[in-house]
Amino acid sequence: MAHQAHAYHMVDPSPWPLTGAVGALLLTSGLAVWFHFHSTILLSLGLILLLLTMYQWWRDIIREGTFQGHHTPPVQKGLRFGMILFITSEVFFFLGFFWAFYHSSLAPTPELGGCWPPTGITTLDPFEVPLLNTAVLLASGVTVTWAHHSIMEGEREQAIHSLTLTILLGFYFTFLQAMEYYEAPFTIADGVYGSTFFVATGFHGLHVIIGSTFLAVCLLRQVQYHFTSGHHFGFEAAAWYWHFVDVVWLFLYISIYWWGS
Amino acid sequence: MAALARLSQALRSPLRALTRSPLNRDRRQLSAAAGHGHGEHSAKTWKILTFVVALPGVAVCMLNMYLKEQQHSHEQPEFIPYTHLRIRSKRFPWGDGNKSLFHNPHANALPDGYEGHDE
Repeated sequence: MAHQAHAYHMVDPSPWPLTGAVGALLLTSGLAVWFHFHSTILLSLGLILLLLTMYQWWRDIIREGTFQGHHTPPVQKGLRFGMILFITSEVFFFLGFFWAFYHSSLAPTPELGGCWPPTGITTLDPFEVPLLNTAVLLASGVTVTWAHHSIMEGEREQAIHSLTLTILLGFYFTFLQAMEYYEAPFTIADGVYGSTFFVATGFHGLHVIIGSTFLAVCLLRQVQYHFTSGHHFGFEAAAWYWHFVDVVWLFLYISIYWWGS
Repeated sequence: MAALARLSQALRSPLRALTRSPLNRDRRQLSAAAGHGHGEHSAKTWKILTFVVALPGVAVCMLNMYLKEQQHSHEQPEFIPYTHLRIRSKRFPWGDGNKSLFHNPHANALPDGYEGHDE
């Protein structure tokens, strides 16, 4: 019988880091190939490989933590640091796009008409759909906090309801943004205004979809009794990510939608 | 060097707060606040906030949107062939390469004007 004299988790050998790396390589090079040579095979292969990797890697983590008990307090602490560091890296990712936006909008070039918004651009009214989107995300922040307290207090039904409500609000945001993208009088090809607008809000929207998916996985796990009132780090990580997405939106709203209009 | 040590000290406590798991948090609450009950019914507080503040807030914004939508006109913005807009230095990798991903024929003009209705 083998046992360890420490509280840490020495993970079993796994193929997922390699398949993930190969998938990421195929995805990125596939994107370049698609842009220049109009072939989607590399891109599709990369996407499938990456999705399979994510599914199996995270499934394995759930098995190790929830079913095999490897996530002792020190291990959990490490996971917490990991999530904090990851979210920090995402903050810097978005910082770059805000930098690009402010660089272009604080000193608009003569080609744009020397003004911001540039000549010929009809901006979106910040007090219509964007304001509703803000309310939706702020509300989802309240519901996800309700979900967290419900889990901590062992309120199973309430946790399921509040988590479902959070996910629905996330879907509503995505739906509203997609409508806005379609109805907008400007496109990504409309100079630096279009570029900064759609790249910043586009990546944000992608993160909303990722966050909603993370929360949906948590909902499935909550229904299947994975979480206890004292140990539910997967949910906490999803909630942290969701709050991060909400905060990024607030910055987007203030900078691009409101100040930039 | 000393400044660096002081900086890491200052960062340690907020980081530590995030790394405290609910298990440790609850233990401290239960021991320090016997009979206080402040943290115990927080789910109810957030449930109330959800239905009294958050969701009505969303409803108000939805109403505001509906009313505003009725008021403004749905005319096409005038087309002026500005060179700094509708840039096509590289074709889009889909369709005829001329339309953006969320192209809206009513709202989005192509580089030489709005699309005619010849369909």
